[in-house]
Amino acid sequence: MKNRLNWKNIYQNPSFPSFLILIAIIILNASLQHNFFTYRTFKSNLLTFTPLILTSIAQGLVILVGCVDLSLGATVSLITVLMASLMGDSLLSIFIVVLLGSGLAILMSFVNGFLISYFGPPPLLTTYATSVLWFGIALFFMPTPGGYIPKSFSKMYRSDLFPNFPVVLLFLIGAFFILFFISRTRFYKHIYAVGGNEDAAYANGVNVFLTKIKVFLLSGVFIALASICVVAQTATGDARCGLSFSLNSVAASIIGGLSFSGGKGSIIGPIMGGLILGLLINVLYFANITSFYQEFMKGIIIIFSLAIGAIPKYLKTRSL
Amino acid sequence: MNNNQSQNVILDKVSPKEFLFSKLAISFYAIIFLFVLGEIILPGFISFSHVMSVLRLSVFLGIVALGQTLVVLSGNEGIDLSVGSILSIGVVLSAYFLNGQNINIPKALLLTPAVGLAFGLISGLVISYIEIPPIIMTLAMASVVEGTSLIITKGFPTGNAPPLLETIGSGKFFNIPYLILLWILLIVVASFVLKKTKWGHLLYGVGSNNLTAELSGVRVKRFRVFVYGICGAIAALAGLFLLSYTGTPYLNLGATYTMPSIAALAIGGISLAGGNGDYLGAVIGCIILTTLNSILVALRTTEAVRQITYGLLLLILVIAYTGRRKR
Repeated sequence: MKNRLNWKNIYQNPSFPSFLILIAIIILNASLQHNFFTYRTFKSNLLTFTPLILTSIAQGLVILVGCVDLSLGATVSLITVLMASLMGDSLLSIFIVVLLGSGLAILMSFVNGFLISYFGPPPLLTTYATSVLWFGIALFFMPTPGGYIPKSFSKMYRSDLFPNFPVVLLFLIGAFFILFFISRTRFYKHIYAVGGNEDAAYANGVNVFLTKIKVFLLSGVFIALASICVVAQTATGDARCGLSFSLNSVAASIIGGLSFSGGKGSIIGPIMGGLILGLLINVLYFANITSFYQEFMKGIIIIFSLAIGAIPKYLKTRSL
Repeated sequence: MNNNQSQNVILDKVSPKEFLFSKLAISFYAIIFLFVLGEIILPGFISFSHVMSVLRLSVFLGIVALGQTLVVLSGNEGIDLSVGSILSIGVVLSAYFLNGQNINIPKALLLTPAVGLAFGLISGLVISYIEIPPIIMTLAMASVVEGTSLIITKGFPTGNAPPLLETIGSGKFFNIPYLILLWILLIVVASFVLKKTKWGHLLYGVGSNNLTAELSGVRVKRFRVFVYGICGAIAALAGLFLLSYTGTPYLNLGATYTMPSIAALAIGGISLAGGNGDYLGAVIGCIILTTLNSILVALRTTEAVRQITYGLLLLILVIAYTGRRKR
């Protein structure tokens, strides 16, 4: 596990292929969309991509520690439902409800983490079961999309803080800061240790149980941020709105070069993976592909990106 | 511990007492408990015809779970998340091939699994040779398959099941639905192949340790490609049988089968790490999940309550069956 970039062997960095794909897809997108490099497009893209990027970071952290969280999307949905049913017009109520929603997101992520690390069932199935549970609860409170989100709240989210600096960028900068500080701690190394080899980590005195719980708590913070973005963007509560995030975030993490078995890759990977997936949908839209072909093309391109992502591993086995 | 268990599976030597407390037996008690619970809540739940109809509903999940079992047994994080969409396309394609004519049945019986086989082989090739994690590859494949069925149907599937197939789907032989008899046949054949043939032994061998299998002369990569292919073919075939039950095709009939097919395995005592467990476990897991679902449906609860109960019980089952205390 090396934290410093090795420029000589940069092509062997697990996130390197995703960087190339990202550049390629930006070029492709820019050539299809003539106003791609304007501030307006930049902002609207940012508004669309931020939830996916944040959930990908949340998923990436969980994957790094050797687990997976399929309930992440259902958590986002449930938080939007909660916020849309409680929020009032006053600034105080917005503040309290946002805080409450974030707390609940972190709590739900904690429940996953606790069940997985205390009882030791496969994370895949556990989080699938909790996702059914969260979805049921969200549906119970809001069988059809609705609720109320004050206009001022969504307007605030879509506005500019300064000229040419959208508010939504604050979420990403906040996320970067959290990640930056975390990456300087011993806890960050423990994530890789536990993800790489749980038994070895335990034998070397790492508290495996606590590390996993902490990762899920941290992931809950990013899920909370994503939920705030989603609810501000859509201005409704919807029990189904987040469902696609679960699997898209896994795809983004793997495209970003994380190993599904954990302990390998950089957290920058999922961020790039999220951007790639977001731009991909843009490209499919601007390439005038009819909706019948979009699902098909999406799958093909994900497979293609994954195949390119596998190149460094291939080169490594060759050079050995 | 793990090794002992897998040896037991292969050698078939289990003492009666051990059997009474094995995971398989406990799952069996769970089925009985669920049926008794159903009878208490809804009198008539345990009547012969109703039990049969619950079992008939679990046939489709059971067939899908067979493919899933093979993939999971083959190890290396083996899992197939595309079974649901391959089942969906199986329904659509078989309806298209059959077009309501009995004479088209052989054609559909041949072509539908062939398409599933092709999808499975592609997944398997990428997983084995480009070494992409199965979970994400089969997920992307699910997108491709779903997209394909949208493209070929343009959103409106055509055709329907011919009379003969409908008889199989809804007919009965001495009050036992044909589908259940077919399933029993499938269980016998699958158990025989897994336990008594060379291929089955190879599957367990590859699943429990693919390095030793490779060193013993098994071409592990090629073997795994075929396992995914077979899984795809079985899922598509399940689509054909689902069509025999529904009569007319709908898009995305299979979406609700993917995760339950994995949960059924976990409940049936098949280790998700591979190389351990047998199809009978998966069968019992399928029956448990279907019974649970039909109790919830029969209670006429709202979808929300149904999802909450299903999620909670699934959580309890998953933890009870697969949890082992770690640090």
